[in-house]
Amino acid sequence: MTEYLLHISIISGLYIILALSLNLIIGYCGQVSLGHAAFYGLGAYTSALTAIHWQLPFVLSLPLAAVLAALFGLGLGIPTLRLKDDYLAIVTLGFGVIVDLILLNLEITGGPDGLTRIPPPSLLGLDFRSKVWYSLLVAAAVLLIVGLLYRLVHSRHGRALKAIRDHEMTARVMGINTAAYKIAIFTLAAGLAGLAGSLYAHYITFINPESFGLHTSILILTMVVLGGMGSLLGSVVGAAVLTILPEMFRRFADYQDVAYGAMLIALLIWRPQGLLGVGSISQKFSLGRGKAKKEG
Amino acid sequence: MMEGGLARRWETGAAAPLARSMLLQQILNGLTAGSVYALIALGYTMIYGILGLINFAQGELYMAGAFATVLLLSFYQVNFFVAFLFGMGVAAVLGVLLERIAFRPLRGSHPLVPLISAIGASIFLQSLALLLFGPADRSFPVQFDFAALEIAGVSISSLQVAIFAAALLLMALLMLFVKYTKFGKAIMATALDQDTARLMGINVDRMISLTFLIGSALSGAAGIMMAIYYNTTYPRMGLLPGLKAFSAAVLGGVGNIPGAIVGGLILGVAENLGAGYLSSGYKDAVAFAILIVVLLVRPKGLLGGRSH
Repeated sequence: MTEYLLHISIISGLYIILALSLNLIIGYCGQVSLGHAAFYGLGAYTSALTAIHWQLPFVLSLPLAAVLAALFGLGLGIPTLRLKDDYLAIVTLGFGVIVDLILLNLEITGGPDGLTRIPPPSLLGLDFRSKVWYSLLVAAAVLLIVGLLYRLVHSRHGRALKAIRDHEMTARVMGINTAAYKIAIFTLAAGLAGLAGSLYAHYITFINPESFGLHTSILILTMVVLGGMGSLLGSVVGAAVLTILPEMFRRFADYQDVAYGAMLIALLIWRPQGLLGVGSISQKFSLGRGKAKKEG
Repeated sequence: MMEGGLARRWETGAAAPLARSMLLQQILNGLTAGSVYALIALGYTMIYGILGLINFAQGELYMAGAFATVLLLSFYQVNFFVAFLFGMGVAAVLGVLLERIAFRPLRGSHPLVPLISAIGASIFLQSLALLLFGPADRSFPVQFDFAALEIAGVSISSLQVAIFAAALLLMALLMLFVKYTKFGKAIMATALDQDTARLMGINVDRMISLTFLIGSALSGAAGIMMAIYYNTTYPRMGLLPGLKAFSAAVLGGVGNIPGAIVGGLILGVAENLGAGYLSSGYKDAVAFAILIVVLLVRPKGLLGGRSH
């Protein structure tokens, strides 16, 4: 039972990182990425392949996974985020499909069977095959990332990002390079997803493309919307809730995606700020209701 | 030449012989697929034009049209054309409901909000179809006797000709409707400027509904044609054509009706040439590559889109 609870907490931790990073894109770029699971997968495969083939230690394969995912994020962000239209969602959806195709077709990635026997991390002489140590490792990563993002959001750059989110044109007039900020945030978010992928690969020790498809991207999106777009704490709560709830309702697993789809629409109509969204972002996201009512 | 969802397959793409007939063959196959992409792209473009919204669920309306027709034909002995119109009708009604439920309450909010709502609707419809109809492929219940013509070493099935002709007919009807009827002009006016259109006495809400009705019916028709062409219908069938049609719309210029048609045809041909000469395993990647290049080089699209 303890083992099971530790497993759930490790998976929750990974989803918290993923939800936090997607929330950066949603809450600070005003865009949606539907390929977040692809960055997660890129990180997982990079880390696993370097560990298997080059015997790279975890301290190197983890940052390498994050950097590679971030580079892909940069490559996607430059053509899409410069434009004001919301192309990012569809470009990232396409990116997800391509990554899936590549993982399935390449020989080195093992095709549909994926990779097995990924070594657990060796770090400070601790035995990370034990779930206790691994959950501590993930917890440390989550705390570090939450701390980092908290600092970021409350820094000068954070204020610039808020200005962009609240009124892009005004931000630009104030001399903020909005495109550069958006691309930087998207790159950072992709890197964090890659980092989560690395943590996942070394924990679960076998990976295949199925874990990194559209289903996972939608799951992360639902976590963010449920927790509250633009709220860091909301993402933590949203990710934990949506990891634990399906475990409690295993019998209804078939209905999961239908529920997520309906939940997204229902939340946006009745509670666009999510569970914990507060402040300007909630006003901004709920703005539509008042206006629609006036019109209607 | 099956298009298998997320293409879980292991084709190594044997290098094809470079022959003129093969080139013609690929172009022809591409035009057939492209005319279908164009029909879906029209839905994207019209809805984008009027609401500034990428309707993510467009591919699911395509799937719904195909399923409605296939199910009707497998349970009742009805005329094929009746079933075809029924499929278009189901897609159209679903599209109008979608707008009412998932988009209208959110109108006027940050563009992100209806976009996520559309993603929710897409995943909802897709997984609902999975629950109701199961994951298995369904073959098209009616077999057609289509002759294969052989011209200059290129085989053309009359099915391809029929699909191409039907798609062109629907596009022509749409163009005529938009250009010459009162409703069509009202839609264009609403797309140009909602407030002014309202001042001219146009019922904007009704025009938006009408746009969803037409766009969804066209997507439904596209779904039925593909269900016949590939002889398969399954819940996730809309995902890739939806993505490709969007790329087609961007290629032609989002919000531009002739652009969607040109974009769809070019995309279909490019994709088949890519599959024939590069690697069939990555056929589905061509549309995406085109999308990225267009966004980098000419985001307005070939024929120029309308910004929103």
